Amino acid sequence: MQIHVEVNGRTQTFEAMPGESLLSLLRREGYLSVKRGCEEGDCGACTILLDGRSVRACLLLAAQAEGRRITTVEGLGSIERPHPLQQAFVDAGAVQCGFCTPGMILSAKALLDETPRPDEGQVREALDGNLCRCTGYKKIIEAVLLAAQRMKP
Amino acid sequence: MLPNAKTCHYPRTPAEAIRILKDSGPRALILAGGTTAALSSDPKVEVLLDITRLGHDGIQAAGRGFRIGCNARLQEVASFAPLRSFCTGLVAQAAGAVGSRPIRNAATVGGNAVQVFRWSDPPVAWLAMNARFEIEGPAGARTVSADEFYARHPRQALDGAELVLGVHLESPEGPHAGAFSKLARTAFDLAMVDVAVLLSGSRKSCQEARIAIGATRTLPWRATRAEERLRGKPLSAEALAEAARLTREDTQTAADARTSKEHRLHMVEVMVRRTLERAAAELR
Repeated sequence: MQIHVEVNGRTQTFEAMPGESLLSLLRREGYLSVKRGCEEGDCGACTILLDGRSVRACLLLAAQAEGRRITTVEGLGSIERPHPLQQAFVDAGAVQCGFCTPGMILSAKALLDETPRPDEGQVREALDGNLCRCTGYKKIIEAVLLAAQRMKP
Repeated sequence: MLPNAKTCHYPRTPAEAIRILKDSGPRALILAGGTTAALSSDPKVEVLLDITRLGHDGIQAAGRGFRIGCNARLQEVASFAPLRSFCTGLVAQAAGAVGSRPIRNAATVGGNAVQVFRWSDPPVAWLAMNARFEIEGPAGARTVSADEFYARHPRQALDGAELVLGVHLESPEGPHAGAFSKLARTAFDLAMVDVAVLLSGSRKSCQEARIAIGATRTLPWRATRAEERLRGKPLSAEALAEAARLTREDTQTAADARTSKEHRLHMVEVMVRRTLERAAAELR
């Protein structure tokens, strides 16, 4: 079936099997920042924003994306012009192997879109579904707080 | 991956959804949040039905309580300010106890209520609140109390083409307080024991007590002997401890991958006592 979906601001038409996961569709279409981790909703590496809310791409069927708006990390910034969250992750040393980073950044973006000046507790809560097995979480939380500070209106 | 799914419908009204369900029979699978469907590989499923576009997605104040649409997300229930204080936040806490935020952002109230796994948290709150489920199907609309809804598995209780469209909550008349507790190994692990209680009256004289237990057997259940022990009596420390002991006696459970039968029984007693204490402390 055809899926009509807006990905990172561009309207797209994808050919998909209705019963496949949105994760498999997005990766096939080249959105490789959406990581294939546990594939059962635990790790958060496949986190995307669906209509602005953080969700698991592995726990959605491709058909559910019809008519929706998706944001992946490819839509946030580029190497030349990183999003403030991406720059803050680099500056705070919050990236080690990098596998969890896209999911972390999208969960953080959903938080900052709703709560531009979060406290540490709110950051921890917003990232509670994203696992990191390298750095621990301290620098990741610092990075989100740093980005919030830099983005303040 | 649902290997044989060929098509997906996006009904705009409950009537349209019910018609497709009726026509497709067991070949149809309803998608709401999709968090369970996405992990299924059921070869019978050929027709998908995304019901998230037929409305019923808000939370409205109604009488002494609220109507929560079936398509409201668990995260909305957990963070909706009026629900965080309604019955001492009992329902909001149970919704917030599910998984992690991205799962609560997807999973819906209706899907969670019908799917009900042994460890599901919100159904324990629906039972303590004696919520009413608004159901629509080919034969019309009906309303079912949580006691009845969870007497057997809702998927068996619902006619194949029926939909849950909303959950109605009403607080008891007069002073009341609720409390919810979850025992799990980590913040987003599945529950080993869930307890939800709702008390009304005063500490000197309890009018009604509802005590619901989750994760000990297939469906959530009410500790009716413990409830009777408290009804019309003072909520003394001894009374709460005895209600907890009675609940433990009435608990049917078994060991699983997470914990032993003995540990779970012990924790039922501890958690019922503590949860009752928390609710009782809110009463005058």
